[in-house]
Amino acid sequence: MTTVWAGLATGAIYSLVAIGYNVVLLASGTFNFAHAQLLMVGTFLAYAGAVTFGLPVVPTVLLAAVGVAVIALVEERVAIRPLLGRADRHGTLITTVGAATILDGLAAAIWGRQPLTVPSVLPDEPLTLLGGTLRPVDLALIGLTLVVGVGLHLWSRHTLTGLASLASAEDRDAASARGINVRLLGVGAFAVAGAIAGAFGLLVGARTYAVFDLGHSLALFGFVAIAIGGSGSQLGGLIGGFATGLVYAFAARYIGAAYPQLVVFGVFLLILFLRPRGLFGTALERRV
Amino acid sequence: MNALIHRFRPLGALLLLVLLLIAPGAGLVNGYWSRTIMLIAILSLLVSGLNVVLGYAGELAMGQVALYAVGAYVAGYLGVAFGVTNVLVALAAATLAAVVVGLITGIPGLRLGGWSLAMVTFFLVTLVPNLVDIFADFTGGTLGMGTAVPTLFGMEIVGDRLYWLIILVVVGWFAVARNLLLSRHGNMFLVLRQSPILASVLGVSVYRLRLLVYVVGAIPAALAGALFSMLDGFIAPDTFTFALALSVLAASVVGGATSVYGAIAGAVVMQLGQQTFTQFQTWQLVIYGAFLLIAGIAFNRGLAGLAQDGLAAARRRGWLPTLPPASAAAAPVDDEPAARLEPLRGVLLRTEGLSKSFGGNRALDDVSIEARPGEVTALIGPNGSGKTTLLNLICGLYQPSGGRLFLGDEQIGGQPPYRIARHGVARTFQTPLIPKNMTTLAFVATGRYVTHKVGILPAILRLPKFRRGYAADDEQAMALLRLVGIGDVAGRQVDALALGTRRLVEVARSLASGARVFCFDEVGSGLDASDIAVLEQAIGMIREAGGTVILVEHNFPLVLKLADRIHVLSQGRLLASGTPAQIQADRRVLAEYTGAADGGDDGAAESVTDLEASEGPAVPKGAK
Repeated sequence: MTTVWAGLATGAIYSLVAIGYNVVLLASGTFNFAHAQLLMVGTFLAYAGAVTFGLPVVPTVLLAAVGVAVIALVEERVAIRPLLGRADRHGTLITTVGAATILDGLAAAIWGRQPLTVPSVLPDEPLTLLGGTLRPVDLALIGLTLVVGVGLHLWSRHTLTGLASLASAEDRDAASARGINVRLLGVGAFAVAGAIAGAFGLLVGARTYAVFDLGHSLALFGFVAIAIGGSGSQLGGLIGGFATGLVYAFAARYIGAAYPQLVVFGVFLLILFLRPRGLFGTALERRV
Repeated sequence: MNALIHRFRPLGALLLLVLLLIAPGAGLVNGYWSRTIMLIAILSLLVSGLNVVLGYAGELAMGQVALYAVGAYVAGYLGVAFGVTNVLVALAAATLAAVVVGLITGIPGLRLGGWSLAMVTFFLVTLVPNLVDIFADFTGGTLGMGTAVPTLFGMEIVGDRLYWLIILVVVGWFAVARNLLLSRHGNMFLVLRQSPILASVLGVSVYRLRLLVYVVGAIPAALAGALFSMLDGFIAPDTFTFALALSVLAASVVGGATSVYGAIAGAVVMQLGQQTFTQFQTWQLVIYGAFLLIAGIAFNRGLAGLAQDGLAAARRRGWLPTLPPASAAAAPVDDEPAARLEPLRGVLLRTEGLSKSFGGNRALDDVSIEARPGEVTALIGPNGSGKTTLLNLICGLYQPSGGRLFLGDEQIGGQPPYRIARHGVARTFQTPLIPKNMTTLAFVATGRYVTHKVGILPAILRLPKFRRGYAADDEQAMALLRLVGIGDVAGRQVDALALGTRRLVEVARSLASGARVFCFDEVGSGLDASDIAVLEQAIGMIREAGGTVILVEHNFPLVLKLADRIHVLSQGRLLASGTPAQIQADRRVLAEYTGAADGGDDGAAESVTDLEASEGPAVPKGAK
């Protein structure tokens, strides 16, 4: 059961990445490769708030949330918006990787290449729950991720803004013609995704360390979560993230320390091959 | 762009090559620079492989570094474990390994395209250290492995000989890449990049073509790895980092991904940058990222694009001799417009209760129509009545929710679009799908890619078969362009043409395959009077030649003039079918178009013809 808890806690991080991908994908139809890097920056800002400036928890979370939201907005302005409306749809494939690489490089230049320990905000005394042990901070991570994921799912299905976002992801022009401010939605999605990523920086950092190349593995496993859950499905991404974390934890525990990545990769290839739309995704037909 | 590279003086290239080969022996470069040249050559192999995938097929593959590792370890292991040090065997084994890894990752990774291939290949890069660790018995683990001295026919390949080997392999690859990319295959890759839908209605299986391109792009990376293991004599996992993957990507976009030789320019910039600036290490990632961002937004054709623009400008100002007009050699000299088409093997197309639902919305409901060979069958109806949906079902772009589709006696409903296209169903699009970086002539010739196929090997080796096929393609495409009255634009870039001309280009393209059924989707809208006249003539000729024409059109006078039979759709249902005269007299059709009550004759309108204006701006004034 301890393995299950470890898997769920790691999986929560992957779910967070998947949620961030989906928020932007649903509102603007763009896949923001750099979202995992936003989470990485969140852990560094949390470190800066908690350690460098010695701030209490709430200001630290606010600092990270606002800081990452601003970075996300800058990214949208620089790497996404100039390409909107271009016929060539491959542009963001390059520019979001570019943005991610710049964030990696800046983090390495500012905070160095060694991992930094982000302090845990909750007591470090392990809890025993359902026959397994876990740290309180991990439990908080799992719980809050669930709340955010389910909340966003309900929001996108039951509020006017959420539905508008679904509509504009489906067809930007049609949504725009219906009076939806497509651009504002897209920008807002970046801000929201960034703020969520920043706010979780403290909890994520407490589990992983703050390190400049954290984004690489998070991007991959977050994408595996999307592949399992089906792109654009918040609930699917949430479940996919936890599933990925569990696969990882069990492979590490029972096969060997060098294997979990390989096992996840195998699962990833199988999913893409057998269910390319994901387990929860619906088949979309292309339009002419 | 093609023209420039076509004219690349072979003699000059040969001189350059000889100079490069004798440089170290003749004392022109010292050891430092000869090593730098070898590293640039190896990096340009990696970049060139990525260019094939990214620049031509539009897929992002970040796994070049993983394939680089595969090539290095395969070559290294062969030498150490089996004493096989022959460089040719090592290079062949690396190629084979690249194909295997390419298939394993490409088959799942390309199912969806877009980001999934990027992520699968990115994953592959991060797996390299794990795999090296797991197979430590073969790879030497994190400590690395020393490799055996490479040989060829008993000679040790070291020093200058290794230099020659590396240069020759790289030159050989670029020759292969050039011949492949500057052929119909390369043109089809560009079509695929621009529009997978267009590629599939041209009869190409998008998935298989993507897989082919991806596997081809994997080969030079593995070759580079094998050469690198010979150069360094030592392989360790810390060579194959994500930072290297990013530098390959940055080199690709800096040099210009959609070009053959841009890879070399990009590799030079990256390699020299890394060696020259001591600050490079610290800011490496930021620099790569900035390159990607700037190239992605501002100059996405890279250095190759700048060079082409510069050459073009120099020609305009008379500093350089101008090129002969592209493919003038292939075009027959006579200026007589081709008067008629070869006979077409038209075939009866029939739908039986065809239906399509999108969620709860029934876009097409139980529609049965017939389109006969040697006739023009028009589909008309208000916007949203299901005309384009029906066309998409016929072409296989939509899967029918119910009903059947017959071509002759064969049921073809539900088949993928490329199969239906291979049965001889061609179509044009409401918004013409037009690729970039291609002349009009070359684009029209892509219509013949599947039906008059020239294999990849003849193209790479430039065999006589390839030359014959190319000449026939050009000749036929030229004749078709003349037929639709736009022979003068054959040498122009197709994406620089105006909308009306694009529509005519699409008609020529659809004819190029020698199709049996022609689906024209609002082919007349946006055309001026003279273009309409040409179009009428062209459609008339297809009918004469025995082709089956299905015409979706808003321009009612045009429909009345051309159609032998008209089907009227309304809200997804078939409202009426008949000859133009019958349809003109049909009260229900009148009601549908005016909104008047069924059978009501209070209206001022006597026939549908008077009401064309109710269709809005789609009707050009000159057409009346």
